[in-house]
Amino acid sequence: MLNLTHHAAAVGALSVALLAVGCGAPDGDAPVTDAAAPTVQNAAYLAPTEPEGAKGVGAVKESVEDGDEVTVVGLIGGDRAPFVDGLAAFTIVDPKVPYCAADEGCPTPWDYCCQQDKVPANSATVKLIDADGKLVAENARDLLGIDELTEVVVRGTAEKDDAGNLSVLARQVYVRK
Amino acid sequence: MTLRLLPWDYGIRNLARRPVRSLLTLAALATVVLLMLVVVGFIRGLETSLAVSGDPDVMLVYSLGAEENIENSAVPARTAGVLEASLSGIRQRSGVAYVSPELYFGTRVGGGDVTSLGLVRGVTPTASLVRRSVRITSGAWPGPGEILAGRLAHAKLGVPANALRPGSTVTFENRDWTVSGTFSAGGSAFESELWCRLPDLQSALNRQDLGLVALTLAPDGSAGEIDLFSKQRKDLEITATPETAYYGAMQTHYKPVRILAWAVVALVAGAGAFAGLNMMYGAVAGRTREIAALRAIGFRRRAVLLSLIQEGLVLAAAASLLAGTAALLLINGLSVRFTMGAFALRVDGTTLLIGCGVGLLLGAAGAVPPALKALRRPIAESLKAI
Repeated sequence: MLNLTHHAAAVGALSVALLAVGCGAPDGDAPVTDAAAPTVQNAAYLAPTEPEGAKGVGAVKESVEDGDEVTVVGLIGGDRAPFVDGLAAFTIVDPKVPYCAADEGCPTPWDYCCQQDKVPANSATVKLIDADGKLVAENARDLLGIDELTEVVVRGTAEKDDAGNLSVLARQVYVRK
Repeated sequence: MTLRLLPWDYGIRNLARRPVRSLLTLAALATVVLLMLVVVGFIRGLETSLAVSGDPDVMLVYSLGAEENIENSAVPARTAGVLEASLSGIRQRSGVAYVSPELYFGTRVGGGDVTSLGLVRGVTPTASLVRRSVRITSGAWPGPGEILAGRLAHAKLGVPANALRPGSTVTFENRDWTVSGTFSAGGSAFESELWCRLPDLQSALNRQDLGLVALTLAPDGSAGEIDLFSKQRKDLEITATPETAYYGAMQTHYKPVRILAWAVVALVAGAGAFAGLNMMYGAVAGRTREIAALRAIGFRRRAVLLSLIQEGLVLAAAASLLAGTAALLLINGLSVRFTMGAFALRVDGTTLLIGCGVGLLLGAAGAVPPALKALRRPIAESLKAI
């Protein structure tokens, strides 16, 4: 009888210990980032309010000069992998360009494979820079809690080369819900 | 109380008492182990070829629409110069950037009396900087109208090795090319290729563009920098990927082949188990009286069972030794053609461990069921058995 009591107590203690471990904080040092609930880490790069006067990438690309201040809106995509590994940079496409519908059987609709010819004229690269003007060395997906086909509004400085390629150097990104 | 075991040499002598049956069992087990070594060697060779083909410091830049197939890629000829001028993260030595413009494609190649699909790469001298595993094993770097043949290129073309000796002639794209030398590349996919001068190949194909640009990252360079540049330069319509990722994707592509090969291993092992069981049933069934006699003079069931397992293990060990030796002498390094080129069958430590391990398992496990069946029978009944 005594043995049975001891066993029951041991099993109970083990269960409590397991429950305590199971209910504890998640492992790892990296904080979980989520655009809906900005953390201290990403809040600095997420604009709290939408910048006014945003234009689609296509329209901006036609009129902008190198060094101009621009406000541009786009959907993250234009490439099978629109985010750059290890750097806070990604490509966006003008919302007026339709991406592949689910019934078109495209596994990565954000690469706009159904509208490939319209992508070059309607896409731009967004580069998130820090206070010193350096490109942030962290994946934008993790930093901002964003994903492919998320609609973003970016205000920043335009970088346009002779071939007409547009990049926007921005300090903050506004994520449309 | 200790278990009184049968003498060790009892089992060995038993094998010699029935030489034909023992030899047949040995041959069957050796065949099973050899088959396993071939299949596992195939899987190991394929995996090794793809695994060593990627250099972690090398980035491949190719056309956006190529869909991870460099053979379909075409990028503007200026891409190599643009990359070199625009990026700071490319390795340099004595003012020479580690940038290799290349043209890579599959074409009909005539060598000896055979014409088959071969892989040709047009390169410049900087290829030797970027492709660090490549070593010229005979002859010299190709001059005008010459090619450098990879160690396994003959296997890919299905011609004898001497058809690609220095001085031999091969034909592709309506031209005769003289073999200037041969090269090895540490078992990577390059070994199935023919290399020639980039301008010669462009001229033969009537093309001015490139297939891809391979570049080596500087110690402080990053893959992200090259990727970002590719995304920014929409006008070039290029994409960048680490070479290891490219060949990693190939490994995924060949996953069904590997699964199939492992399934063959399981089937061969299963068939071997049945064959082994059959042999051992036959061997033990004919020894019912002997087993009963051993029990009658005081040996326990467990001791007799251990002796029978010992016999099975000795046979399996001998079979594994035979098969392993045959595999190392006859199969190891044998060339196998596949769509991406050719690779060498690899009978390495892992292959031997898997093949011989399963062989020993068959020997040990194959003896147990028939032995248990014989041992369960009453001694008196077994002694009367014919």
